[in-house]
Amino acid sequence: MDERGEILERRLSREDLLKLAAATGGAGLIAGRAGFAEAARAQLEAESGRLQVMDWAGYGNDGGQTMFAAYVKAHPRNKPQFTYMTNESDALAKLHAGLKPDIFRPYVGWLKYFATSGLVQPWNPKLISNFKHLNPFMVKAGQYNGKQWGIPDDWGFDAILYRSDKVHPRSKSWGLIFDERYKGKIAWFDDLNMLTVAGLYLGFKNPWNQSDAQLKQSQNLLKSKKHLVRLIWSSETNLWEAFGSGELWIAYAWPNDWVQMKKKKLKVVYMHPKEKPVAWVGMLMLLKGTPRYRLAHAYVNAWSSVKSAKWLEDNYGYGHANTLARPSSSDLLHALKLTNPRAVTEPNAHLDRDIPRRAVYARLWEEVKAS
Amino acid sequence: MVRRIRLGLTTPALLGLPVAWLAAFFVVPIVIVALYSFDVYTLFPGPHGFTLAGWRAFVHSSLYLGLFWKSVKLSLIVSAVVVALAYPVAYYLALSGTKRKYVLLLVLIAPFLTSYLLRVLAWKVILGNQGVLNTFLFWTGARSPDHPISQLLYSRFAVMLVLAYIWVPFVALPIFVSLETLDTRLLEAASDLGASRWSAFLRVTLPLSLPGIVAGFLFVFIPTVGEFVTPSLVGGTSGYMYGNQIADLFSTGFPDWQTGSVLALFLLAVVALLTAVFSRFMQAGQAPTR
Repeated sequence: MDERGEILERRLSREDLLKLAAATGGAGLIAGRAGFAEAARAQLEAESGRLQVMDWAGYGNDGGQTMFAAYVKAHPRNKPQFTYMTNESDALAKLHAGLKPDIFRPYVGWLKYFATSGLVQPWNPKLISNFKHLNPFMVKAGQYNGKQWGIPDDWGFDAILYRSDKVHPRSKSWGLIFDERYKGKIAWFDDLNMLTVAGLYLGFKNPWNQSDAQLKQSQNLLKSKKHLVRLIWSSETNLWEAFGSGELWIAYAWPNDWVQMKKKKLKVVYMHPKEKPVAWVGMLMLLKGTPRYRLAHAYVNAWSSVKSAKWLEDNYGYGHANTLARPSSSDLLHALKLTNPRAVTEPNAHLDRDIPRRAVYARLWEEVKAS
Repeated sequence: MVRRIRLGLTTPALLGLPVAWLAAFFVVPIVIVALYSFDVYTLFPGPHGFTLAGWRAFVHSSLYLGLFWKSVKLSLIVSAVVVALAYPVAYYLALSGTKRKYVLLLVLIAPFLTSYLLRVLAWKVILGNQGVLNTFLFWTGARSPDHPISQLLYSRFAVMLVLAYIWVPFVALPIFVSLETLDTRLLEAASDLGASRWSAFLRVTLPLSLPGIVAGFLFVFIPTVGEFVTPSLVGGTSGYMYGNQIADLFSTGFPDWQTGSVLALFLLAVVALLTAVFSRFMQAGQAPTR
């Protein structure tokens, strides 16, 4: 939290006490703890209006209600109102265009960007009772300059899904999505992270911060291999449909995609390449100057509960940062390596990170698609 | 005097609302987009000012212009095919003398009662590896199930096919109108003067229905050259079009509204120019018939 935020919070605490004293006229001193609880409730009730949330499709009232049901039950007058974001870039454009959501959810690779953008403020983990159950590696990934800018919730990997009855990889490598033998059967993901993956494949030391020459090499690799690619997917349902119907044999994919294809009785493997998969973690972020500070914390707390976490894992097939949650599917448990608390970080995976020259990466990726 | 004043006020009163509407929801947004393209407006706070850099980069980018040309070619093919498909339909409805022409017309435009998205997605069911067409080919033995025709979907062909399907009824309508208003006595006169049916069609019907053809052609060309929904659903990597690039520049990767605005305005300018040229051509073509 920045200095202003801390001052505000301290002032609010004093206001709590004053409100408590005024409201109870001394009875609070007798009521003790119950009085403080009342004060906290009064503070929450003082925050008015519906909580404004900008989130991804499927995480709002379009199917994701279970994950914030506890919040709605506790704050029926402040139900969340959703605006959907299609990606972080879209969210960024909406924020700059004047949208004021209390909460939104970029992924970990954007954390530093938003934390330094002046658009957000840090969370107060003390107001999130489920915070202590969250994976410490993911919690750390949500920090910048010692402050908790992001509350981790959903997570997964970028790795390779392939049909084991059709595809015979020469090695466990990202190279499989560039394999000439499978022309017309490969899917890439529509994201500038394709340049990062190309950098990983080419053996660059820091694919998230490539030099101009390295970026040119990565882009040339993608351009030269694009003719192999049937589909550049941006929605999982698109991928499932194409992969499930046999249009695709190899895809840049997430763990849940493997689970979904297994459900279709396809012989599929979710390969963790030797260059390592890239792990992503959803980070709920708090808008700077939000008028619903405590409601936002209550909402995030609901999202971070074991119940929500298990529901997310069972129904959406993503991992959840709550370490107490376990999915019903042993396949998913295996794919996400949920028994390993370090699943998202070294030596198992590269945790996605800030791309200092994101605009350059974005332009180069657009050029690949247009080429 | 009062009557004259009233008449004088009628035109501005009638035109006021539509003109204001156009100004507010068409001209002003375009001006805003133009300001973004010149960096006068920016999405991000920080130093900025009028610059032609975005336009300069666009003009020197073979990539964007190449993509534009690819979209123009695709759109021209679709428009030509659609006109060729729609013309016989419109001809039959307008000139065959069938009593059910309005019922048939209604049937023709019936697909519009369903959503655009649904109609596009239906083609995925037809064109996919396990779709209706491939399944039929497996059944006939023309293809083995291990070797379906995979170019049917996620290809440029798929984009053209779906766009043609979507736009045929739209094109049939203006052609139908131009044919229905045709003075059939001209055809009788042509026949009396010894013209064969084919010759009468080429020398009378076709030239007189040209306004409908051109209108229909533009009806298809203008929206399809900037199309991005259909390519993103059935186009795959090879069906990626100029419209997709504009949409992506605005909302994926990292927002680049300046380049996106340049691309959008260039498209608008080309479409406006083409419309002007066609309109002039139409006026020139109509003059001798008056």
